[in-house]
Amino acid sequence: MSDIKINRRDFIKLTVAGVTVLAGSQIIRRAQALETLASNGRQWAMVIDQSKCTGCDYCTLACRAHNDIPPEISWNVVTKTGTVGAQDVYTPRPCMQCAHAPCVDVCPVRASSYRPDGIVKMDYDRCIGCRYCEIACPYGARSFNWKQFDGPNPSVPEWGQPDISRRPRGVVEKCSFCYQRIDRGLALGLTPGIDEDATPACVVVCPVGARLFGDLNDPESNVSKLLRGRTSYRLRDDLGTSPRVYYLSATEESQS
Amino acid sequence: MKIKLPKFTPWMAWIGGLVVVTAAGVAAGLMVFWKGLSLTNLTDMVPWGLWITIDLSSIAMSAGAFSLCAVVYLLGLKRYEAVARTATFIGLIGYTMAVLTLLLDIGRPDRFWHAMIYWNKHSLLWEVTMCVTFYLAVLALEAMPIFAGFGWLRSHWPKLSERMSRVHHYAPYLAIAGLALSMLHQSSLGALYGVLKARPLWYRPDISVLFIISAIAGGMALTVFASMLSARLTRHANVENSVLDRVSIIIGWVLVVYLYFRFWDALSMTYTYEPGRTEGLHLLTGGPLSFNFWIGEIFLGAVVPIILLLNKRTRALPLWRMLALALVVGGVVAYRWDTNLSGLFIILSYLPGEPAVTYTAYSPSLIEFLTGAGIIGYGLLAFSLEAIPVVGD
Ligand code: SF4
Ligand code: SF4
Repeated sequence: MSDIKINRRDFIKLTVAGVTVLAGSQIIRRAQALETLASNGRQWAMVIDQSKCTGCDYCTLACRAHNDIPPEISWNVVTKTGTVGAQDVYTPRPCMQCAHAPCVDVCPVRASSYRPDGIVKMDYDRCIGCRYCEIACPYGARSFNWKQFDGPNPSVPEWGQPDISRRPRGVVEKCSFCYQRIDRGLALGLTPGIDEDATPACVVVCPVGARLFGDLNDPESNVSKLLRGRTSYRLRDDLGTSPRVYYLSATEESQS
Repeated sequence: MKIKLPKFTPWMAWIGGLVVVTAAGVAAGLMVFWKGLSLTNLTDMVPWGLWITIDLSSIAMSAGAFSLCAVVYLLGLKRYEAVARTATFIGLIGYTMAVLTLLLDIGRPDRFWHAMIYWNKHSLLWEVTMCVTFYLAVLALEAMPIFAGFGWLRSHWPKLSERMSRVHHYAPYLAIAGLALSMLHQSSLGALYGVLKARPLWYRPDISVLFIISAIAGGMALTVFASMLSARLTRHANVENSVLDRVSIIIGWVLVVYLYFRFWDALSMTYTYEPGRTEGLHLLTGGPLSFNFWIGEIFLGAVVPIILLLNKRTRALPLWRMLALALVVGGVVAYRWDTNLSGLFIILSYLPGEPAVTYTAYSPSLIEFLTGAGIIGYGLLAFSLEAIPVVGD
């Protein structure tokens, strides 16, 4: 029956060729990705000063209102993580906007991707809702829309007005560093991190100024100056994800 | 061609039962499409559950197709052709089961085609999706000559049947394409888990090797089991027993290799404390998954079948052999279930300091069970109605 024969050597040759092409295209793509990163001027980062944070959770609420998030989801989570002296210490956690983001790597349809300014962006029209990214994110920063959110948003209008539309049922969502505010602000000639209208809602609302936002590539931005002046750390730095959220620890001295 | 159905019979009851189960599954599936995944017990902590297990298992159970086709066309062992045909058929059913389950499982089934156009070559899930799609096409082509042989087709559309049977000439090419695609995705289904650094229990290279080896054992086991079963049911199957015997020996040895890798893989994880990994391992060896692990996967799923299949006396007895093969299949399913859940049950904290571990749990909801049963029901139904005549032909 089989009058066509492929010998094993040809088979191996074909396989090797195929693998080489795949690997090559991979390397090219990576290089291109790095290029866009390097060529762009701005690299947004957030600094969270734990010596100031009082755990009031206003950031979470403002985030809920401005991004129109359903009550069972939180893009931002504030957790109590110990005490220093007599004071409680809190660790607020937005999406880390990792520079090497596992969620971007695993997404089968590139619904998660890097913006040139470093923000990890979700394309809600493209996401198929496979939830692989939820499993891959080390920070639990992603949530799936198990249901359609169609009731009123309990945080609106008290904590602000929605800037973006609701996500449909069946897609994964996460913190965006409020890039809608950044983009709009930049278009109006404002400076993100300085002008409130161009700055993430959580940073604006924080009553004690525990959150700061700015451009890491600008040595004079408030975040660059702060990070030069004080020791900072990032969450699970050991994983190599290179988060863009930096923390300033609460210490005995900083409390006084 | 047609099986002679006795009027009453257990056979009718079997088919009737399967139709009921499948129909219930279809109804439950429509509910899921309508109401969404909130009908499941899945959470953001355990976003993959019963369905992904069915998905992974049905793909694993289809691995007989590429393994046996490779034996036939690459090693040129023509004697195995009949078994390879059964395996191809099972593969076709298995992959359609997997695709159906995936459609249920994703939040936006209407966007299932996105992976075809928005490529993320870096994503293993993308690679698996592409491989599964192409492989399904290969299987459909491989199965075409089988369909062409169906009596009703031959009498109603002789031209079409003729053309379909000609695909047979390309069988060696198809076997090679199938082999390449299968080698890729059968192992990358394991790597899907293995590349996730956030999950220390999974994060290791061996998991992909274990997946493909266990799939080969499971897939061949199901094929031999199905061949034996249909031979018993239809009484005119012409699959040589010596071939099935041979394949059973191979399965036994594949299991030995699997167990060997599994042993070193597990042992290497026990040496030092690693947050997340050690706890995950404990879930398997002493926690809620331990019965599955020790009894389902290791003892009944590997050790017992190895003994039964490599021992000439037990292997020669059809019932013992079938028991052993069924155990292999069960063991592979248990392995998929355990792999998925042992990784997800452990939540490694991202907070500063020593990474702390918390636990979560999951058991499927009624709707998940119903749809799952429906999909398995569909698979059995398809096999009972189509493949049994195929084997018997
Ligand atoms: S924190 Fe999670 S969701 Fe955010 S970029 Fe990193 S991996 Fe992605
Ligand atoms: S759930 Fe959406 S964003 Fe996440 S990996 Fe799947 S398709 Fe990508």
